[in-house]
Parts: sequence; structure tokens; C-alpha cells
Amino acid sequence: MSQFRAKRLDLGGFINARVVRDHTKRKVYEQYEPERQALRYIIRNTTLPQRARAQAQLQLSQMHAYTRPTQIKNRCVAGGIARSVFRDFRIARYQFRQQALAGELPGVKKASW
Amino acid sequence: MLSFPKSRMLLGLGKRFKFSVPTRSFASSNEPDVDLSQSEVRHAASLSGNQGTEQSEYIKPWAKRLDDLNQGARLPRSVQALYLRPLRRKAQYGLPVCDLQLRSYSVRNVEFFADFAIRAAYYLKLPVSGPVPLPRIVERWTFPRSNFVHKKSQENFERITLRRLIQIKDGNPQTVQTWLAFLRKHSFYGVGLKANVWEHESLDVAKTMDDAMPEIEQSLEPHLSQFGQRKDRGGDQSILDILESERFTKNKGPLTDVRRG
Repeated sequence: MSQFRAKRLDLGGFINARVVRDHTKRKVYEQYEPERQALRYIIRNTTLPQRARAQAQLQLSQMHAYTRPTQIKNRCVAGGIARSVFRDFRIARYQFRQQALAGELPGVKKASW
Repeated sequence: MLSFPKSRMLLGLGKRFKFSVPTRSFASSNEPDVDLSQSEVRHAASLSGNQGTEQSEYIKPWAKRLDDLNQGARLPRSVQALYLRPLRRKAQYGLPVCDLQLRSYSVRNVEFFADFAIRAAYYLKLPVSGPVPLPRIVERWTFPRSNFVHKKSQENFERITLRRLIQIKDGNPQTVQTWLAFLRKHSFYGVGLKANVWEHESLDVAKTMDDAMPEIEQSLEPHLSQFGQRKDRGGDQSILDILESERFTKNKGPLTDVRRG
């Protein structure tokens, strides 16, 4: 969402709208994590009054979607693609293939066995 | 580190002038008759200034002398040692002190650096065992060559990590640290280092730990003083007040307010 987005671009590498969005979500999640964890703690703590726990549940569910960790999706740093992104290189499969064939990934060779 | 006089002493070859070389050496010693000592060469060189006036039997023709220089002269011991297998110290107790793991994607790099590390350990008087070739780590990936429609045509990629283990036995901890620092300083491209260092204590370790305790407490004091609840926080704040504080009510998402009426 625009209220969370940085006023100036604070990203390097490949950039498109979806990459910026994912980056914003990561930053917002990091910023609001203490609040989320506090509410989660109140919800799960059975020694607290039921009313407080119910209120914490409501407040947690009303928090902005960008504060949720499930909104974060790994994206290819070379092409912005969200599918088939490999954690080892943070690159999607097609970029991986291109870079590996060009010898840009250290140690990666065509395999045959 | 590879200084000449030290290595000569360590090689134990003493003051022999002729360096006899084993089979895989660099300098050929085919002609046994060129066993000319260094002093003779020097003598001949000093005499060569007034060569025209008097001819002694010590002075050999130019071609012969150059040939002698090529075949009879030897490299410094430390340089010669590089062509031979690395020297090692014998471990007295065999107590492992440090495990160094070298990792690389290329055999040449990891072999070269393992050799270097063993030589460095020798000159630091550390007993070494290794390099032990550990199992290779093979990672493989398979991708379709193009779009998902052409799933039948795929391509395999692999990355093989080669590992070598070098173990230091009963070395002084400080010397081991020096060795590791030296290896880090002269680290080779494409070779990673991972070291597990063990320190051994005497049996009355509890006593030494007790002695060290006051110093540790003193150093931890600024950190430990941060723990606990703040005095000025206001202890009467209930959990409902916390939930209604600005911090928890202001970060609402859009469309989360209930419409009334």
C-alpha cells in the first residue's frame, strides 16, 4: 500500500512494481513484528482475562495485511518472477539456466551422469 | 616464512653442495662430472678479471662454466622444498586441536591450498594430519529448457563441492590461531575455510572458572542492568490499557472499521 511504500526507491537490482511491493511488505512486517507477537502472546496466554484475549484477537485480525509474514513471497532477483525461485541462488529457473550456461554461477556446470 | 637458512636447517641436508634430486625433481643431474663446489665457482669468477694474463687450470672455458651454472648450481632449499612433498612434524600425543575444512568447486584450488596450509603448519612447528578428502557434496537441479509446455525437454545442472580436512594435533592454541590467521591472510580464490578449534583445560577447570567469575560479572554488568522492569513504567497499567494504547489501535488495516447504523 502506498502509505507504506518508500518515498524514494530503496532497492537495487531488477525492479518492477511487484518487486517493490514485495519489498515494502518485508519492511512493514519487520516494523510491526513486535506488535504482532505481543498480541499473539496475549491471545495464547490463558492466565489473562478472556475479554483481553478476545480484544487482542480482534486487534490482530484488524492489523494491516502487509504486517503479515504470509504476504511475503520470494522473487527472482534477476527477473522479478515469483515462481520456481530457488533459495540457493534467489533466482528463477530460466534466469538460472541462462546464467549457469554463461558460467556466471560459481561451480555450476551441466550435469550428466 | 620460507626463509632460506631456516629451511636448509630443517631439511637436514647440511652443507652438501651437490643436491641430489629424486625422480620427479626439476633440475637434471645427468652429468656427475660437473660436481663443482660453490667456492670453486666463486674463485673462478674472481679470477676471470685477469683472465688474459694468466691461465690457471681452475679456469674453465666459458661454455663449460655456463653449463655448470645451469646444472651444478642449486636453488635455495626453501624453493627446492616446493618441488617435493610437504614436510611434516610428528605428533607427540596425537591430541586433535584444530580441524580445518577447505571447500572449493575446483580440485586444483583446493589441492593447492591444502598443500600450502600443510607447509605453513610445518614452518610453525605444528603436527598435521591430512589432507583427508571428505565426501563430495553434489547438488543437482533439473529445469525445463523453456516454457512449461515443453516439460519433456529438461536440462540438468550440478554443483560439486570438494572438501579437504586438515587436522592439527597437539599444537599450542596461540600458534594454531597464528596459522589460521596466516591462511586467512593468504587465502586463495575460490577456496573457503572452516575451522573447528578445541581448547583443552586442566582437570581443576571449575576452580579457574570460579576465579574468572568476578571479571566476567563486571564485564556483563552493563548488559545485565538492562534486564527487568522499568521503575517509571507505572505498574498499575492493566492489559486492557495496553491493548487500548495508541500503539495497538493505530495500526489498523483499511476497511476494518465496522459501519454503524
